[in-house]
Amino acid sequence: MEPRPEIAHWWFASIFLLLGLILLAEVIVGPTVFGRRPWRRYLWPATALASGVLLWLVAALSTFSMLHLIAHSIWAQAAMIAGAVELAVVRGLLRRPAWSLVTAGMLAVSGASFLVHEQNGWLFSRSAFLHHAIGWVLVAAALFPIGKAIRPRLAIWSTGFAVTVIVVAVLLYTDRDVAPIFGHLSEFAGESK
Amino acid sequence: MRRLPIALAGALLVAVVVPAVASAHATLGSTSPATQSRVETAPREVRLRFDQAVTIVPRSIEVFAADGRLVSGPVVAADRGREMVTRLQQLDRGAYTVRWRELSADGHIGSGVYTFGVGVPAPPPTEAVGASGMTWKDDVARWAAFVALAALLGPLVLWLVLLRSVDPGPRARKAFYATAAVASFAVIDVGILAFILRSSNALQLGFLDMLYGDLSPFAEKTRFGIAFLVMTVGFGVVALFALLAWVLDRPGLLWVTLGLGSLLASGWSLSGHQATEPNSSALTELADWVHLVAGSVWLGGVFGLAVIVWPLARDARRDAFLRFARLAVVLIGLVVLAGTYMAVVRLPDLSDLWTTSYGRILLVKVGVVGLALAWGAFHHLVVRPRLERGEMPRVAGRTLLGESAVAMAVLVLAAVLVNGSPPAPETPASGAVPAIQAGR
Repeated sequence: MEPRPEIAHWWFASIFLLLGLILLAEVIVGPTVFGRRPWRRYLWPATALASGVLLWLVAALSTFSMLHLIAHSIWAQAAMIAGAVELAVVRGLLRRPAWSLVTAGMLAVSGASFLVHEQNGWLFSRSAFLHHAIGWVLVAAALFPIGKAIRPRLAIWSTGFAVTVIVVAVLLYTDRDVAPIFGHLSEFAGESK
Repeated sequence: MRRLPIALAGALLVAVVVPAVASAHATLGSTSPATQSRVETAPREVRLRFDQAVTIVPRSIEVFAADGRLVSGPVVAADRGREMVTRLQQLDRGAYTVRWRELSADGHIGSGVYTFGVGVPAPPPTEAVGASGMTWKDDVARWAAFVALAALLGPLVLWLVLLRSVDPGPRARKAFYATAAVASFAVIDVGILAFILRSSNALQLGFLDMLYGDLSPFAEKTRFGIAFLVMTVGFGVVALFALLAWVLDRPGLLWVTLGLGSLLASGWSLSGHQATEPNSSALTELADWVHLVAGSVWLGGVFGLAVIVWPLARDARRDAFLRFARLAVVLIGLVVLAGTYMAVVRLPDLSDLWTTSYGRILLVKVGVVGLALAWGAFHHLVVRPRLERGEMPRVAGRTLLGESAVAMAVLVLAAVLVNGSPPAPETPASGAVPAIQAGR
C-alpha cells in the first residue's frame, strides 16, 4: 500500500524539520554548549545519512516515471554522501574546513534535480511551485557550506543553513499534489483533489 | 561517545519505519484487462484508470495483436477525465499489447505499455509488440555492473580475509574504504541505467517522452524488475555499511557489506537464463550465483592487488600476493566447475558450441579466460617463488595491471553472454513450454 504523494512529502518535511531544529539548537546555544554531550553532534549527519537509505526505498517505488526514479536516486546518494562526510568531520577523520564543500555540492546537485524533474512553470500548480521553490532554496543553501569552508568561524553560515533547512520543511508541509497556487491553476492541471 | 550507536540506530529506525512514495503527476492506477493478466473471455474494451484527470492525446490507447494488427478504436474519456476507454474488435485467442499515452494533470506526457492474454498467458512487457531486443547499450550496462560488483567484492575479500592479520597501512585502508563505498553506489547506479535501458527497449519512446515513461510494469511484472527493486534498496544498505565502516574506522562492518553484497548479487542469478529458461532449476541458479561471486572475487581481487595493495601497501604486498595466489586456485576451480555445468545445461550438444551464436561467444569467453589463467600461471610460477624467496619483483605491479585488463575483457564477454539467448532446449511435443527470454 502506497501513501498519497502529499503524505510522502510530509514525512520528509518532518525529517527536514528535525534536521533544521537540531541545527538551529546548535546555533542558539553555541557549538560549545551543544557539544557537551558528544552524541548531539552526530544527530544531523546521522539523520541525513539515514534519510538517504529511506530515499532508496522511495526511489524503488518511483518507477511510475523515469525522471522520478533518477531524481530520487540522486537525492538518496546526495543525502548519504553528505551525511557520511559530515559524520567523518564530527569524528575528526576529516579536519579541513574545505570538506564543507561536499555538502555544498550535494545541496546544489539535489536542488538542480528538483528543478530538472519539474518541467512545468512556477504557477502551473502548487506542486510545481513548490518544486521550483525547493530547488532554488537548496541551490541557495549551498552557499552556506561554501561560506563555512572559506570563513569557518562566522556564525552566519550555520544560522543560514539551519533556517534554510526549516524553510524547506515548511515548503514540503504545504505540498498538495494538484492544487491551485495563488488562486491560479493551469487549465491542463485538471481538477484539484 | 557511547551514545553514538544509539543515535545511529535511532536514525536508521526513522529510515526504516516511514516507507513512502512521492509523485507529482498522474499515474496509472488500474487497467482492464489487468496488466499481464490472462482472461478467458475476450474483452470488449480496454479501460485505463488514473489517479487524477488526464487529457486524451492522439494515440492515447492502441491495442495490438501479436501479429502487429491494430485492434482498438477511438479513445474516449470517462469518470470526469480519470479514465480512458477504447472499444476493441472481436479478439481471437492470443497475446495482446496495450500502448498508452496521456497528457497528465501536470502537463507531462505519460506513456506506458503492458500486455494481456486471451486464453493464453500474457507475455512479459519486454516481449510487447514493437519491443526491440537487447542492444550493445545493454551489454555495456551489464559489463559495468559486473565491474562494479567485482570492484566491491574482490578488494573486500583481500582485506577482510587475506590481510586480516596484517595492517595494510592508513593509505591502503582509506583506499579499501573508498573502493567499497564507490563500488556500492556504482552497482546501484549502473543497475538503474540497465533497468531503464531494458525498459526503453520495450517502451520505444523518444527521449522526452521516455522521461515520463511508466516503468512500473517492468519493475513489478518481470523477474529482472523485481530483482532491480530488491537490489537497489539492498545495495543502499550495503553502501550505508561501507560508509559507516569508514566513518567509524571499523573494518568489521565491511563484513556486512561483503556478505550482503554477495547475497544480493543473486538477484542477477535469479532473473537470468539460469532461472528463466525452461530447463532451469535451483541448481542452475546456485551454479550461476557461485560462478558470478567466485568470478567477481577473483577478478576484483586481482584489481585490488594491482591498484590498492601494490602501490599503497608495500609491507603487505608479499602476504597479499601469496595468500591470494592460494585463494585464486579455489576461486578458479569454482568458476570453471559452475561454468562447465551451466554450459552443459544450456548447450547439451557439443556442436552447439560452434553452431549457435551463444556457443561461439562462450568459446571466445573460454579463450579469454584461458589467457587470464595463463597470466595467473605466470604469477604463480614466476612471481610467487621470487616473493617466497624474499625478493620483490618490480614487474609484478605492471603484470597485475595487465591481468586486470584481461579480466575486464572477460567481463565484457560475460555481459554479452548473459544478454544473449541460449538455444531453446528440446521439449516433448505434447505440453510444450514456450521458450522464455532471459530476465523476463
